[in-house]
Amino acid sequence: MDQSLIGIHATDLWRPVRGQRLPLPMPGGKVAAGFPSPADDYIEKTLDLNELLVKKPAATFFVRAEGESMLGAGIHPNDILVVDRSLEPVAGKVVICALNGALTVKRLEQRAGQWLLAAENPLYADIPVNEGLELVIWGVVTAVIHPL
Amino acid sequence: MTPLLALVDCNNFYVSCERLFRPDLWNRPVAVLSNNDGCIVSRSQEVKDLGIKTGTPVYQIQSLINKHNIQLFSSNYALYADMSSRVMSLLEEFVPSIEVYSIDEAFLDLTGACQEDPVVYGQRLRTTVQRSTGIPVCVGMGPTKTLAKLANFAAKRWSRTGGVLDLSDPARREKLMRIVPVSEVWGIGSRTAGRLNQMGIVTVRDLACQQAERIQARFNIVVARIVLELNGIPCLALEEITPDRQQIICSRSFSRRLTEYRELSEALAEFCSRAAEKLRSQHSVAGHISVFIRTNPFNPDEPQYQRSAGMMLPSATQDTRMIVSEAHRLLKVIFRTGYRYHKCGVQLSHIQPASVPGQRDLFDFTPRGKADSRALMDMMDRINRRFPKGIAVAAAGFDKSWQSKVERLSGRYTTDWRELVRVK
Repeated sequence: MDQSLIGIHATDLWRPVRGQRLPLPMPGGKVAAGFPSPADDYIEKTLDLNELLVKKPAATFFVRAEGESMLGAGIHPNDILVVDRSLEPVAGKVVICALNGALTVKRLEQRAGQWLLAAENPLYADIPVNEGLELVIWGVVTAVIHPL
Repeated sequence: MTPLLALVDCNNFYVSCERLFRPDLWNRPVAVLSNNDGCIVSRSQEVKDLGIKTGTPVYQIQSLINKHNIQLFSSNYALYADMSSRVMSLLEEFVPSIEVYSIDEAFLDLTGACQEDPVVYGQRLRTTVQRSTGIPVCVGMGPTKTLAKLANFAAKRWSRTGGVLDLSDPARREKLMRIVPVSEVWGIGSRTAGRLNQMGIVTVRDLACQQAERIQARFNIVVARIVLELNGIPCLALEEITPDRQQIICSRSFSRRLTEYRELSEALAEFCSRAAEKLRSQHSVAGHISVFIRTNPFNPDEPQYQRSAGMMLPSATQDTRMIVSEAHRLLKVIFRTGYRYHKCGVQLSHIQPASVPGQRDLFDFTPRGKADSRALMDMMDRINRRFPKGIAVAAAGFDKSWQSKVERLSGRYTTDWRELVRVK
């Protein structure tokens, strides 16, 4: 049975949104007699990973990577990828695409006018985007969450 | 200023949610089943084309399912509720006033909002939602809610519309009304439609041409208002048509910003009470609850925060006490100090008739018989409004064995870290 945040069995907490704050307080002003430091107003400010990683909550999805075709891009098996569907999939971006009915992560590239789904591992072949290939770009990968 | 309302409605919503994470099913027949996997509740176009109707019990169409290899899913409320809240929050970025009518549709007040052609605006709305969430939607527009709903119906049915239709122009309206049967009008049930047909009122246009007074005399004020609305005269408030809902949503924007947990919890208790009342009035129980809070997205100077959380209720219930206390538990999880809250709400789903003896939690000690007494519930509501902490139900076990049959449940792709979709 899943034990979540504060002992509640809310197994389905929803979606990435700003505000799930990590308590990493920034150093405040020194304690002084007399007037309070204006810096004390900022003592509560904490850094928020969601703010860093999730620009568009409604369009952001997390997916889990499998396989080693993107090792060169720093994507290892079991890593979590942050995917923003609202971004333009331009050449050079790492994208999630639906390729022949399966979700795949590759780098979108254009070489000499030819679009490619490029792997980042010499053991894997690049896939030229030709007619007959069932391909839909699903979203753009914006970050990798890789535990060490 | 001429009023302009839009109804944004997700296409085959549950199926669209399932398909988003399963590209292998994009061109295959897919259907989603009701609680206990009993009936079809959402169909892909391929399934509709096979002549399978919503509400059909699975056992009746087993041979079709086998023959066409129809992929079936159990209802995955965690997924649908999350996808719904994504769609709704995108719509709220377009206009400040939206009314979430159900899990997959919302009315938008576009009066004065479109600088361009409304159809172009509608296309932009549609593209944004489809691209950001992967959920296809249709947009119907008109000067009244009934016309916006009619426009949406037409936008869905005729692909030539490109999924967006504006019925502001009376001439265009009339053309459409001639070919749509009166039974398709929002708020006209099958019995009313039958009686109208007997009077020779067959198409929507036939109804629109009636004198409202005459219709009021023969039927009632609700049908009379529909006649006026079809003629572009706004008079139907949203709450006035309340079909039995598969989801009940109670939410409101606050007139002033709330900052304290206590204030929000009071408002939430009120919404829960109303939602529970609605639930009882349609003789239903709910199995899933979700709560959301958000700051005002139209005030970029303020720090923004929005969050929602949902959970299965310990057992399907219509009991205000349980709904309020579970809502408060969820609120505690998502509430953060330091924000000026603009809106909060509760959504009840997984709704089924109360007459079905609910699968009860083994450890649920709530005296069910007494709990359902209306007087007690009303008292509860009042107490909960006065005392912010409410009366907590001695929360019992969370043995999930009572849960509905969900043999074909897909992953909770967006709400559980362990169930993320995998990419190669």
